[in-house]
Amino acid sequence: MEQNDANSKEPKADAANVRPGRPDLKDPRLVLSLLEADQVVAAKSQSRFGRRPFSFGVSAALWGLRIYVLFMMVIVVISVIHAVHSAH
Amino acid sequence: MIEFEDSGGDSERAADARDLTMSWSGQRGSAERPPAHPTTETAAASERDLTGLLTHEDIDRARDRYQVARARRTGHSKALANLRLLWLLVGPGILVFLGENDAPSMLSYSADGARYGIGFFLPFVVLTFMMGFVVQEMTVRLGAVTHRGHAELIFDRFGRFWGLFAMGDLVLGNFLTLVTEFIGVRAGLGFFGIRPSVAVGGALVIVLGAITTGRYWTWERITLSLAIFNALFIPAAILARPDWHAVGHAMLTWSPLPHGSHYDILVLLLATMGATVTPWMLFFQQSAVVDKGMQPRDIGAGRLDTAIGAALAAVFAIATILATVPLFRHGINSAAFQGAEFAQALEPWIGHAGAALFALGIFEAGIVAAITISTSSAYAFGEVFGTGHSLNRPLREAWPFYLTLIGSAFIAAGLVLIPRFPLEFVVLTVNVIAVLAMPPALAFLLLLVNDREVMGEHVNGIWANAAGIGVTVLLICAGIGFAVATIFPKLLGG
Repeated sequence: MEQNDANSKEPKADAANVRPGRPDLKDPRLVLSLLEADQVVAAKSQSRFGRRPFSFGVSAALWGLRIYVLFMMVIVVISVIHAVHSAH
Repeated sequence: MIEFEDSGGDSERAADARDLTMSWSGQRGSAERPPAHPTTETAAASERDLTGLLTHEDIDRARDRYQVARARRTGHSKALANLRLLWLLVGPGILVFLGENDAPSMLSYSADGARYGIGFFLPFVVLTFMMGFVVQEMTVRLGAVTHRGHAELIFDRFGRFWGLFAMGDLVLGNFLTLVTEFIGVRAGLGFFGIRPSVAVGGALVIVLGAITTGRYWTWERITLSLAIFNALFIPAAILARPDWHAVGHAMLTWSPLPHGSHYDILVLLLATMGATVTPWMLFFQQSAVVDKGMQPRDIGAGRLDTAIGAALAAVFAIATILATVPLFRHGINSAAFQGAEFAQALEPWIGHAGAALFALGIFEAGIVAAITISTSSAYAFGEVFGTGHSLNRPLREAWPFYLTLIGSAFIAAGLVLIPRFPLEFVVLTVNVIAVLAMPPALAFLLLLVNDREVMGEHVNGIWANAAGIGVTVLLICAGIGFAVATIFPKLLGG
């Protein structure tokens, strides 16, 4: 479970700022040293992953699956009507 | 392509945040987003600026990370340190699987045992949990690397059009499932003669109690301590005196195969799959991993957390099947049974204590799932609408998040109390809808987890892709089989 690989780009808090006892989290630098940059709410809210362009194959697959779900919902309604009729 | 969001105005706070982010990445002035997980050591902003930017959520999350960091550099033995680290990092994986061992799922497992006895369904349940592990592990990586919830990533990468479809599936599935959880609560406590309004009202108080702490860690530990009572099905199973030789034989040979109406078997197969792999689980675990503050370094622990959750849930599911086998052995028709009726019918064979444990188990399954599923809806709502969405936020800061959570629970609970509300309709459909809605959710998941711009070095490997595609194809085939059997019932002897 422990992964202390040398190439890790982890926050350096593990080595530098961790002391026994209760942490002084009023110190913003300690807070920031414990979090990755895009874990901080203010920073995260200002950055977005951009839209990914779809190939024809991916678009076709997504449309196919969407039609599949809509069709299946109709089937579910039919099966429930069937089941309710059978029960009564 | 990663880009900064147009804030619609150059507010000082937005500019500070942008500067802060860029200073971390060492790319001040660049339009690029920082790398997936840069160090924060080089933060150059002044202390005054940083103080203004940090929120209650950040500080609580840092508090949790501090404990993890301490555990990593502890002077104790390696075994003790790893145990402490595991204790700190488990949660989302166990919660998602024990949350999915919910009221309708336990009723599906009960039906498996009561209708078909010890046989095919035992190893089949293990297979479904293995499928569940494959897909849930991907959400751990997504959450730990991107620090973004599933709904947020779908909207960002695939756009509003596809995002709304995904949300539609989630909202419908979550709401129907939430209703069935309160049906479970009502049925479970109904065994003890508790009035439905008291049972459902009490359940709402527990849901409220779990979220009033304003702290993800406390919420997680409260919910975990409730979820472990899913183990109540184990003593109920032991009291049913299962034939362990037959259990071993079934696990090894997948036999005897179920007999009877092929249509009924197909529906039960679908419901059993829907008891393990559902869209809400993807959304919930990824958001919980983000809220817990997990980082790429924690992926190994997150994987272990997910494996423990899947293993525990599989054991409890098998126990539920074994507990109801006496109904199969004695030829009791359980076709229309719900939670309390299973418990009542079992009483002659597993005793009052066993039946009470079974009923309490159904109640517990309902209450834990009510907490996790309503939280999943609230996370997704907050991510899509850009409002605060963390259990580390106080009520005044994230009231739309808490309102969604509480509101969905209240409406679902209210429906269960309406006289002559077609509860049977909801229970019948919920797991089937979940499994039918899963293939598009898995397609989005696979696209995201193979997206190198999002995942960096943590993209799926060939085996994870093969397993993910295999699960998706299996679910599609099961759905098509269900459709054929519904339209042409005589084809399968239904």
